[in-house]
Amino acid sequence: MSDKLIDHLFRHQFGKMVSILTKIFGFDHLETIEDAVQDTFIQAMRSWQNAIPENPEAWLTAASKNRVIDIFRSIKAEKNRTTKLNIQPDSTTLDELFLDHEIEDSQLRMIFTACHPRLDPRDQIAFSLRTISGFSIKEIAAALLIPHDTIKKRLQRSRKMIASENIEFEIPIGQELPTRIDRVLEVIYVIFNEGFHSNKKEMVTRKELCGEAIRLGKLILKKPEIRLPKVNALFALMCFHSARLDSKVNANNVLINLSQQDRSKWYFPLIMLGNEAMNQAVQSTDDFSSYHYEAAIASEHLRAPTFEATNWKSIAKWYEQLLQLQYSAYTQLNLAIVYLQLNDLDKAKANLDKINPQDLAQKIFYLFATKAEYYYLLKNQIESIRHIDLALAKVVNDSERQYFEEKKKSYL
Amino acid sequence: MKEFMLIFIGSDYATLGLSPEQMQERMGKWFAWNTKMREQGVIKVGDALHPHGRRVTGENRTVTDGPFAESKEIIGGFYIVKATDYDGAIDIAQDYPDYDLGGTVEIREVLDYGN
Repeated sequence: MSDKLIDHLFRHQFGKMVSILTKIFGFDHLETIEDAVQDTFIQAMRSWQNAIPENPEAWLTAASKNRVIDIFRSIKAEKNRTTKLNIQPDSTTLDELFLDHEIEDSQLRMIFTACHPRLDPRDQIAFSLRTISGFSIKEIAAALLIPHDTIKKRLQRSRKMIASENIEFEIPIGQELPTRIDRVLEVIYVIFNEGFHSNKKEMVTRKELCGEAIRLGKLILKKPEIRLPKVNALFALMCFHSARLDSKVNANNVLINLSQQDRSKWYFPLIMLGNEAMNQAVQSTDDFSSYHYEAAIASEHLRAPTFEATNWKSIAKWYEQLLQLQYSAYTQLNLAIVYLQLNDLDKAKANLDKINPQDLAQKIFYLFATKAEYYYLLKNQIESIRHIDLALAKVVNDSERQYFEEKKKSYL
Repeated sequence: MKEFMLIFIGSDYATLGLSPEQMQERMGKWFAWNTKMREQGVIKVGDALHPHGRRVTGENRTVTDGPFAESKEIIGGFYIVKATDYDGAIDIAQDYPDYDLGGTVEIREVLDYGN
């Protein structure tokens, strides 16, 4: 008898069971399915108080399987229902459907459905966290810092859309796959970044979102047919970033700049996992995605034993290539910052000048702060103070404000 | 040593809208409490109960189906524990996990006909 359950077992099991039951009963019955799965956890809560079973996961799977007949009956009992069901719940088909690889496939089907191009991008994230990751509405709202009712609406809208557009519950194949998987990777990366860049005080929430994104990435990597190099690259990137998660903020939740981070806190096993994925990502392909370059940059940082030993030249090279592949004002800004590290003020200036401030929207304070640093290195104190003040006027996050205030002191 | 029955009264879990994560967390607390009592050797018997059941009443032995109580006052389970007195039993009840959900522990001493 184990005395503790695997972290998030219920949450992940929820995603698995909802997926497989959706495969059986279809999206029309998603709510009935979610209720039924929820009920198996309540059963577990009651029966596991005195002893946790030998194999909790198998117990839950079996309990969900037993629900199939109940769901079948309750659907049939609904008035005027003429919905055709994919299967008859006879035991042999059922046993096959509840095999591990079938459950994994159903989860992948759910991921591709959740990230279907016809759904609104904002709805895709909420719907993924609900149906695949087993978050409650409240938990999604808390993690994304979005009002409860908005999340509720997004979930309803995506359900309606899936039903009305008759979006098929399938893993795309052939020509459709590369574009469909791009959207899946984007959604996973957004979920990851929500965690990684979150302003939330609780470290736990942040880790949960990052962990969830990594879990989804791992799920896709399990299936050879969809294991494209860019999936490995994104997976590596998320591992590299996550390895630094504990050293990113101090005990008071103040952001610690990369140069000040305690590198001994970086989590080695994740770096190893990332390296492994990165090797896979570059094997037999020269078609590099943005994730490839971003992972390469992250890995350069991890490779440096101290901040001073960072190979900025190599990082500048990766940023240049990333810019060519996919323009983003943020990439350009990062490249300018790298040139500041290299003390190449001309190149830094050239990159800063190319940025259209409007592209940075509310994050414009990063541009001001970078310019402040540029003028500081140029020994132009007036301009450096002027720019750090501009940054301070626009920044919203407390810990970033604190960081800029420290900077200002150093310029005086 | 006397014996006391701890009776857990509260909402049916199914009506509380807990998320899978919250349920796992809560179950962990129940399990930890149970383990603690076992290690201390204070627990005699105990189990969780299904929220609904049957009731047999009256001379005609009429059978009715549950639920019988308000949904917030369902007997969710019980333990019989050993303690020197009520204070000891109240101590044991401190770790009951569902106070935050509006739960109540009713403590009743088991009548001992031996004394």
